[in-house]
Amino acid sequence: MHIPDGFIDGKTAVVTAVISAVGVGFALRQVRRELPPRRVPLLGLAAAFLFAAQMVNFPVAGGTSGHLVGGTLVAALLGPSAAVVVVTTVLIVQCFLFQDGGVMALGADVFNMAILNSVIGYMIYRMVCHWLTGIRGRVTAIAFAAWCATVLAAICCAGQLAWSGTIPWSVAFPAMATVHMFIGVGEGLISALVFLAVYRARPDLITETTLTDQPQRLGELVRYGLLVTLGVAVFVAPFACSWPDGLDSVADKFGFSHKMAPLLPAPAPNYQVPGIHWAVGATAMAGAAGSLIVFVLALLMGRWLVPKPKDL
Amino acid sequence: MNTAIEITNLKYSYHDGTEALRGVSFRVAPGECVALLGPNGSGKSTLLLHLNGILPEKLSGDGTVKILGEPVTPKNLETIRRQVGLVFQDPDDQLFCPTVQEDVAFGPQQLGLGDAEGAARGQKALVQVGLAGFGRRATHHLSHGEKRRVCLAGVLACEPAILVLDEPTSDLDPRGRREFKALLRQIPATKLIATHDLELVVELCSRAIVLDRGSVVADGPMFELLNDEKLMLEHGLERPHILRHQHPH
Amino acid sequence: MSVHLVNHHHGQPDSLVHRLPAALKLSVALVIIVATVLTPIQWLAWFVGVAGLLVLTMLLSRLPLFFVFRRLLVLSPFVLGVVLVNAFQPAGRDKWLAVAIKSVLCLLTVILVSNTTPFSQILRVLKSIRVPALLITTIALMHRYLFVLMDEAERMRRARASRTFTRGRRFHWRALATVVGQLFIRASERAERIYDAMCARGWK
Repeated sequence: MHIPDGFIDGKTAVVTAVISAVGVGFALRQVRRELPPRRVPLLGLAAAFLFAAQMVNFPVAGGTSGHLVGGTLVAALLGPSAAVVVVTTVLIVQCFLFQDGGVMALGADVFNMAILNSVIGYMIYRMVCHWLTGIRGRVTAIAFAAWCATVLAAICCAGQLAWSGTIPWSVAFPAMATVHMFIGVGEGLISALVFLAVYRARPDLITETTLTDQPQRLGELVRYGLLVTLGVAVFVAPFACSWPDGLDSVADKFGFSHKMAPLLPAPAPNYQVPGIHWAVGATAMAGAAGSLIVFVLALLMGRWLVPKPKDL
Repeated sequence: MNTAIEITNLKYSYHDGTEALRGVSFRVAPGECVALLGPNGSGKSTLLLHLNGILPEKLSGDGTVKILGEPVTPKNLETIRRQVGLVFQDPDDQLFCPTVQEDVAFGPQQLGLGDAEGAARGQKALVQVGLAGFGRRATHHLSHGEKRRVCLAGVLACEPAILVLDEPTSDLDPRGRREFKALLRQIPATKLIATHDLELVVELCSRAIVLDRGSVVADGPMFELLNDEKLMLEHGLERPHILRHQHPH
Repeated sequence: MSVHLVNHHHGQPDSLVHRLPAALKLSVALVIIVATVLTPIQWLAWFVGVAGLLVLTMLLSRLPLFFVFRRLLVLSPFVLGVVLVNAFQPAGRDKWLAVAIKSVLCLLTVILVSNTTPFSQILRVLKSIRVPALLITTIALMHRYLFVLMDEAERMRRARASRTFTRGRRFHWRALATVVGQLFIRASERAERIYDAMCARGWK
């Protein structure tokens, strides 16, 4: 999902850069406040770990392979702010050292993969852990959260591409969302398996504090939530507002959404790619159904991986 | 001062309760070169980490460690670490800066010397270990032997009175080992070396301490200890071949 | 393991371009990238000019052309996607041409800068523009231990593979996940040892 330079335009680059700078700045402050000095090198090592782990290919059917992106995993292991810092670091090194992802696109990549992915992933993880307790619950939670985070990040990426006029929303959204619904399964599975492996061998290394406390955590999440909502509102809402209208013409859709978001410049004219205009609605429904299916799968996986809990 | 290192009845247990050190006591005189021997898991590394206050995590009072007459306390850690240079077992753990010159200058700079002075000390230490032109090299590109020498330089740059080394020649090829031993021989500081390299012990050390399962089981002149075949075998070591044809110095 | 992706070219010792100050290279690169993205495709002169400058720099830098070309190829699936989508549009040709040309030029710029500038110098420039210290340290440590961890991952993977006799994919996933889990554990333990090593040399 690393966006190359030239695929997003100036305004998108600036807006994402500003939002991301705020988000990362906030994450750094949180980390400085929470993380004991002993754990500071862990951020850098976790980033190196994520990169090295991404090189491990998990074979999937037909010669393709999946690999871990890891934002949600790191958030579950080290906390959401640490995850933001870690993934941002990975993206910066990937950009400057391996030329993976554009320089101007860094703002967008950081927003999608470091902030949105980690924060939403973490929120969903915590929510599910709240309902399903014990390690089994955690496994289910992380699998489901990682899937959701992957799909949502992809949707946001599609929004940025559409906002830049590179690819119309009616193509970008279905394409990115459906592909990542499949990729997300791998991500969820790997995240859960790795989390479980770490938990079994060295539970003390999971520095993400217990799920009980933290009004501070709530405050932190609220602030991230606002930032994420802003980003989503800018990049996704103008388009998302349109598809429930079904077969209305594209121009009408943009007239409508323009009223809803008067402060935003109108996105580039959306093309009517032949036969694809229903894809947006279909994708949205698939997404909703998909999340339900994935949740059930995650539950089953939790049961299978973690034998009947004795205590906890 | 007649003791550089004085350890009295030192005890330490890991988080899970296993006892790592059970009442260790010994002394090292200034200028001595002492070998710390023992099978894997005997507690050597754990012991060494007590010499500059990294362990115990909470200074409790299970035994005392005195460096140059001063007990190690949370308040004087800075002074202790100025005097005790610890070279870690895995050079990758110690070489954390991007370039060689940054890494060797790290110690002096942390100890309060300015950037320029720190760099100068670092450069001097690099010359001392025979890596004069290596300043700009990236640390992750060095060979294993070079990494070990840079680690030594980084510690020497702090000009410590006491040098503590944890398995300094493991993983080195024969030439690397020879070069490293030659370097160590030239350093006048008090030395405590935990090692499996018995040839190094014979060549450099006058005294040996054997640690097994957290206790000192032998402490005496190197030649005598290493020649005691029964003692060596009993504690997971062996009598080095080199001694079979040597005379005591 | 696809190590070729990681192929950062460090064989080439020197050239005029290598010796230029990092700050200069990075600022020029940034200007080129931003200007290229913002310039409308119709102003062909700009793109031709930039392309010329980049090709000249590439030749001066003595980087192997094949290496550069291979790194540029990474863009092909993205560009292909955009081409396909926009091929059927009225104003499509301008669009995909713009994306293709801009992305290639920008990527070429980054390839040239990153392969002629040691990473430690890039970090120093970032520090000078007031990027927060915690982030700089994290980036520095990631870069330092990247290759160490990748080596560990490869060794563990090979050791695992040597003991894998079943072809079952299910077991394979769990085995790989254990490897990755172990990698995290080792990374965490190493992080603690690094902290100890930093303290040992006076870090506060």
